[in-house]
Amino acid sequence: MKDHATTHDELHAEMAADFDTTAMATQTTLLNPRFYTTDFDEMDRIDVSPVREDWDKLLAQMKSDPNKGHFKKNADWDKVDWAGMDPALRVEFIDFLVSSCTAEFSGCVLYKEMKRRGSNPDICELFSYMSRDEARHAGFINDALREAGVAVNLGFLTKAKKYTYFRPKFIYYATYLSEKIGYARYITIFRHLEAHPEQRFHPIFKWFKEWCNDEFSHGEAFALLMRTDPKITGTWAARMWIRFFLTAVYSTMWVRDHARHDFHKALGVNIDDYDQEVFRKTSTIARQVFPVELDIDHPRWIPGLRAMNAAMIDMETCTKKGGVTGWLGHKIAATRAMLAFAGLYLIPVKRNTPPASVRLEPSY
Amino acid sequence: MPLFTRETEQVPCTVEVSHRFEALHAHVRFDNGAIIHPGDEVLVHGAPILAAFGELIVEKRQATITRASAVERLWTRLTGDFDFMELCEFSFSEEIKL
Repeated sequence: MKDHATTHDELHAEMAADFDTTAMATQTTLLNPRFYTTDFDEMDRIDVSPVREDWDKLLAQMKSDPNKGHFKKNADWDKVDWAGMDPALRVEFIDFLVSSCTAEFSGCVLYKEMKRRGSNPDICELFSYMSRDEARHAGFINDALREAGVAVNLGFLTKAKKYTYFRPKFIYYATYLSEKIGYARYITIFRHLEAHPEQRFHPIFKWFKEWCNDEFSHGEAFALLMRTDPKITGTWAARMWIRFFLTAVYSTMWVRDHARHDFHKALGVNIDDYDQEVFRKTSTIARQVFPVELDIDHPRWIPGLRAMNAAMIDMETCTKKGGVTGWLGHKIAATRAMLAFAGLYLIPVKRNTPPASVRLEPSY
Repeated sequence: MPLFTRETEQVPCTVEVSHRFEALHAHVRFDNGAIIHPGDEVLVHGAPILAAFGELIVEKRQATITRASAVERLWTRLTGDFDFMELCEFSFSEEIKL
């Protein structure tokens, strides 16, 4: 889930008054999650019997809460030299922490709402565990932010909030992909830093391994949900949507990562290679449920992503420039971005027959 | 439900804000069981609930639900799906330059 509503201005504008006196808070970030509603009746009608055995096993594992003791600061949490950190890196790293915190937080709100509104005991149980995990992750990141002198403001509740709507199917595709891509991102960084510990500029990365197992099992739950009804992934329209989701999510990830040079440079990560590796892991995992897979080795793939990135950068430059030329430039760049997206979408996909048994274990 | 105009409702609610190490969350529950539909807007009255670090605040409040008109609700149902990217996590905000 993303942090659409936490704008850059809010991140920097709201200065802390006496909101948090225990930390050296110098800036306040207003957390501003979005609020969603869905077709709760449809979710109540979900019948997990076709996947009952796997479902019960997964839920028992989530109930046992294997990560209960993991999100604690111990001796591994070494001192962070925030003052000595390169200012450009600091800005990008804070953006990483705030965005991740907002994402976990929004996930918590969404899952909790689903648990509260539903009446299907299987579904309610699942969402209560996922909401628990997300609140815990958010709390852990929040603590890292506090150390950096950034205080999180939860005052958003008393601002007017509009509820938008997603079909349950869209929530499954998007959250499944989000959880699995989250797993792939975290484990890839973790393994890289295992091999290059000198580049671990903050202790939070040491927690990524167990952390991403939560993301992995959340993804597993959505994979099982999608298997309860063949219509969710089996029809022609479903295949077109899944292809669209994959293209949109992969290309957005590419654009955002490529806008964060200092963060990746500090980790010693080549962004092109890292993103391709994350796509590769995610695609391999997603074979468990998606009937199509993007061809990320196709000769048009990387050039398409680069064209999309260039168009997005030009769009932002033109927006900042303003005026008639800015407006016109923005429209031209937006058209280029759309064409680049269409080009990526139209790369022939690989068909895949998901296996009889859905469940996977984290293996990277 | 009116086709074009909005109606408002006053409802009692319970807000829970946790600003603790072990959990960071904030939830609103409508005490009368009111249900939110696509396009509705919710405003919790009173001062912002500012939980200091380590605090869990549970408070009774009043909220105003502004019901979307039938047209708005339909529109939200039809177009909401296009915001799906909000459900995806990318580690970074959408700003190209910070």
